[in-house]
Amino acid sequence: MSDTPPEGTPRADGPPTGEDEGHTLAYGHSLRHPAPRGGQNRADAAAAEGPPGPEGQKGGSRPDRGGRTALERKFARLGWGFALPGLLVVLAVTLFPIAFSVAMSLSNVDVSAGGFRLSGFTTGHYGLLLGSERWRYAVLFTVLYTIGTVLAELVLGTLIALVLERLGGAGRSWMMALLLLPWAMITVVSAQLWAYMYNGVYGILTSASENLTGEPVQFLGTRFPAIISMAVADIWKTTPFVAIIVLAGLMMLPKDVTEAARVDGADAWTAFWRVRLPLLRPALTIAVLFRILQAFGIFDLPFVLTGGGPGNATESLALLGWQVMFTNLDFGPGAAVAASTAALVLVGCLLFLRAFRSQVGEEEAGT
Amino acid sequence: MRIGHTRLRLTWTHLAALAIAAFVAAPLYWMAASSFKGPDEIGANPPDLWPKSATWDNYRQAFSDNNFGTYLLNSVAVSIVATILVLSLSAFAGYALARLPLRGKGPIMVALLMISLFPTIALAAPLFLLMRDIGWLNSYQGLILVYTALNVPFAVWILRNFFLGIPKEMEEVAWVDGASPVRTVLSVILPQARPGMFTAAIFTFTACWTEFLIALTLNTADRFRTMPVGLALFGSQFTVPYGTIFAAATVSVLPIALLVLVFRRAVVSGLTAGAVKG
Repeated sequence: MSDTPPEGTPRADGPPTGEDEGHTLAYGHSLRHPAPRGGQNRADAAAAEGPPGPEGQKGGSRPDRGGRTALERKFARLGWGFALPGLLVVLAVTLFPIAFSVAMSLSNVDVSAGGFRLSGFTTGHYGLLLGSERWRYAVLFTVLYTIGTVLAELVLGTLIALVLERLGGAGRSWMMALLLLPWAMITVVSAQLWAYMYNGVYGILTSASENLTGEPVQFLGTRFPAIISMAVADIWKTTPFVAIIVLAGLMMLPKDVTEAARVDGADAWTAFWRVRLPLLRPALTIAVLFRILQAFGIFDLPFVLTGGGPGNATESLALLGWQVMFTNLDFGPGAAVAASTAALVLVGCLLFLRAFRSQVGEEEAGT
Repeated sequence: MRIGHTRLRLTWTHLAALAIAAFVAAPLYWMAASSFKGPDEIGANPPDLWPKSATWDNYRQAFSDNNFGTYLLNSVAVSIVATILVLSLSAFAGYALARLPLRGKGPIMVALLMISLFPTIALAAPLFLLMRDIGWLNSYQGLILVYTALNVPFAVWILRNFFLGIPKEMEEVAWVDGASPVRTVLSVILPQARPGMFTAAIFTFTACWTEFLIALTLNTADRFRTMPVGLALFGSQFTVPYGTIFAAATVSVLPIALLVLVFRRAVVSGLTAGAVKG
């Protein structure tokens, strides 16, 4: 889409990123004094010649110390004017609270009816965390649950995408619409729905399992069935999302590559595994990244479906953090749980991105 | 026989597609069917696959005896206002990041991506304390502000990608004709970026519509609850009135389902926006 020159292209001037190729030069008018039509000032000449290339000496006034002309500075100001409202809202509501949260996890917090105070630096909350069996279990559970569900969704989603790609036509279009429904559904709704289907007395899945095995399965009654049942509910809701991304990726692949592989004697399986899958990598990377982040912060599903139980079998980090903060009102330890969640997410994403050298951001791995 | 072979393969594809459709649709059918069942049928074992004596009682229960109507309106109001705010902020920010010579664009984009992917639980406590201090717990504006901030980053990404794909000639003409920057964006750029605006709108609306953690934390008073919170906290420890819940749930699925079906192309292009070069 973009025509970004690779990072590090030497530029005589202008901003470090190369998206705008100096084309703003063409807009060389003081807006208050539009030149008469046909008036030939430098900017009109520039406009007539088309945008100068990145190395072209920019028209306008003398460059400042940063090598930017007055005109460029004006457009930079305009750019900040456009970007700041949005950025400030984001800053105020996310970055500031994140910083505050970290500070809170490192202080003694006194919460009273009149407000709360941070007093004194302490690493005690983290010490408490590391020593806590419950936190260690929540970390283990969240990590394994994330890996398990994302892997299952990736495999299932790719299979579904392959089926739909072959289906083609109106059928595919309708199937895509159907797949979007679970994605757009309120997670709490799907959690309530699965809770009803898993219900130990009158759940339809419980009675189906009784018909199959002669013995009703208590899906949410004990640790491992509960974890698997929750994962199934999760997979039902989120696999469609993965399938649609992969399907879109498949539809963008050049046809001739696969055909060439087939002509060279590769069977369908090899052609997929060796030729198409590597080409799909960008789409898969994006899908997996999104899913890792969502799965790691999972909260609504266990909150409604299992309440974190039985015992604390399905207690994710987010659920634990919420319980500690809002049920026990232990803001310090709760903030430490939340900060540890965020830290683990960041580490997980960085590891994943390093492993897959994705093309998020400015370094394009080529599409 | 090649032809027979292809035909056979097609049938397998159709069968597989049917199985997938059944797996996706069955729980949805079960939700809708259960919403028309009376209490006896809801608790029947074995369950009836089809409501024997369909009734609208659950819908009456949910919307006249209970506050699901209020929750629904709260959700609609908060989601729509937040979506409008997100679009107006992101359109200008996205344009600046796509076209204007800002320093540090790369880091800004990466920071936005990081923020849009941050686990919400890390924000819950500080936002709760912040809102308590400014008196915005149990209000619409508190939730709207948070939803706006949480969704601007992703919307900026989507819109910036769209802006990068728009040819520059038209805006250059507008500039040369002396249109003000704001007018150029509003009357020249945005009309061309309409698909991108739709995509960003659907994504933001869906995210606000389904958000649970922040709504649960900030708005504890019944009058300000949104649909997800109302649905999660309905019932007691011992009895969960599933009929009423599914009636409300079915109603909550309808608007978003319509939206997604009508604009499904926008959704799909949004889902893949990250996967294309941008």
